[in-house]
Amino acid sequence: MGSESQACNSVVRRLNPRGSGADNHAWDAMMAAAQGGDASTYRRLLSEVSLWLRRYYARRLPPAMIDDAIQDTLVAIHEKRHTYDPTRPFGAWLAAIARYKWIDALRSLKAKPTEALDDDIPVPDHEEAMTSARSLERLLATLKPAQSRAIRLVKLQGFSIEEASKATGQSAALVKVNIHRGLRRLTSLIRDKPHAR
Amino acid sequence: MRVEQLIDSLANDVKPVRRRTASGDALPLIVLCAVELALFLGTGMMRTDMPTAIHLPSLWWKLASLGLIGLVSGTVTIMSLDPVRSPRRGLRWIAALIAVCFLVGWLVDASYDGFSSPLVSRLHWIDGLECCYSIVVLSVPAVIGLGLLMRRAAPTDHAGTALAAGLAAAAWGAFVFVFKCRFDDPLYVAAWFSLGCGIVTLFARCVLPRLSRW
Repeated sequence: MGSESQACNSVVRRLNPRGSGADNHAWDAMMAAAQGGDASTYRRLLSEVSLWLRRYYARRLPPAMIDDAIQDTLVAIHEKRHTYDPTRPFGAWLAAIARYKWIDALRSLKAKPTEALDDDIPVPDHEEAMTSARSLERLLATLKPAQSRAIRLVKLQGFSIEEASKATGQSAALVKVNIHRGLRRLTSLIRDKPHAR
Repeated sequence: MRVEQLIDSLANDVKPVRRRTASGDALPLIVLCAVELALFLGTGMMRTDMPTAIHLPSLWWKLASLGLIGLVSGTVTIMSLDPVRSPRRGLRWIAALIAVCFLVGWLVDASYDGFSSPLVSRLHWIDGLECCYSIVVLSVPAVIGLGLLMRRAAPTDHAGTALAAGLAAAAWGAFVFVFKCRFDDPLYVAAWFSLGCGIVTLFARCVLPRLSRW
C-alpha cells in the first residue's frame, strides 16, 4: 500500500506543472517510445497513468464508476495513441482524454437504470467517497433546486422515480425531466469550464 | 477484467503507429477537393459567360468569401482533431468572417443599383432551389472526407468540430458551384448559397458527432 502511494505521488508530480522538467518529460519520452512499439515502456506508462487516472476520477465520479472510467480511458489512450505529438506535453494530452471520458461517464448516468439501495452498504474508502461527494455537491449546487433534488434522490440515493415523486411533490414525468435537464446542464457546465471540479 | 489485465493485453497488442499530423490530414483533403474541382470543370460544367463574368466584383466576392470561409473552417476542423485543442475560438472567428463577407456583399450590392429593384423578384426561386441542391451534392465528398478524418483522429468537442467541418464542406461545395452559377446578384447569392450551406452544416452538425464517437 505504501509503495503504491509512493508510486502514485511520483506520477502526480509528473503531471504537476510545478514539477521538475525531468518529471514532466518522462512520460513524453515513454509515450514516444510506445508509439514506436516498445511494449515494456508502454506497460510501465499505462501502469503509471492508471494510478494518476484513479486519483483523477476519485475526485469526480462515484466510487462504483471509477474502474470502468479508468479502463475506458486506457482503451482510448491505446486506440488514439497515434494522435499524441511528442513535441508537446503528454500530460495535457492525457488530461484532455481523461476529461473527455469523464464527460462520457457523466452522460452515461442518464442511461443507467437506477436500483434501490440496501439499508447496509459497505463503504470501503471514505476519503475518495468524501472527495467525490464534495465535488458532486459543488456541481449540484449550480443547478435549480428541483433538478438537484431529483438527481440526489434518484441517481445518488437510489430512490425510484415514484418515491422521488412523492418526496418532492413533483409528478413522475417532471422528476424524469428534471433529472435529464440537470444532467445535461452538468455536462455542459463541465465542458464549458475545463477546470470545473 | 481488472485494470492490470487490461494494461497487459494493451501492452501486448502495441505496434508502431504512424503519428497523426495536421499536414498529413490536410493533404488527402486538398487532393480530394482538387480532384472534385478538376472533374467538375473538366466535364464542362463551367458557366459559358465566364470571360465576361470575370470582370464582375460580385463573382470575386463570391469566390473570395467562400474560399476564405472554407479555408478557415477547414483549418479549424483539422486543428481541433487534436484532443488538446478546442474549436470554439476558431468558430467565433468563422462567425466574424461570415459577418464580414455578408457586409462586403451588401456593399457590392449597394454599388450596383442601390436596392432599386424589388427584392423578391431578384430571388429567382426555381433557380435558387437548384443552386441549393447543387451545393449540397458538391459538398458530399468534403463531408465524407472530414468525417473520416474525425473518426481517425480524437476530437474532444464533437459538436464544435462537426460544426466547423460542416461549414468547411458547405463552403467548399458552394465554392465549386460558383464556377457554374450564372447568377451574380449578391442578394441571390446571400439567400440561396446561405440556405444550401446551412443545410450541409446542419447535416454535418447532427450526423458527424454520432459517427465519430470514440
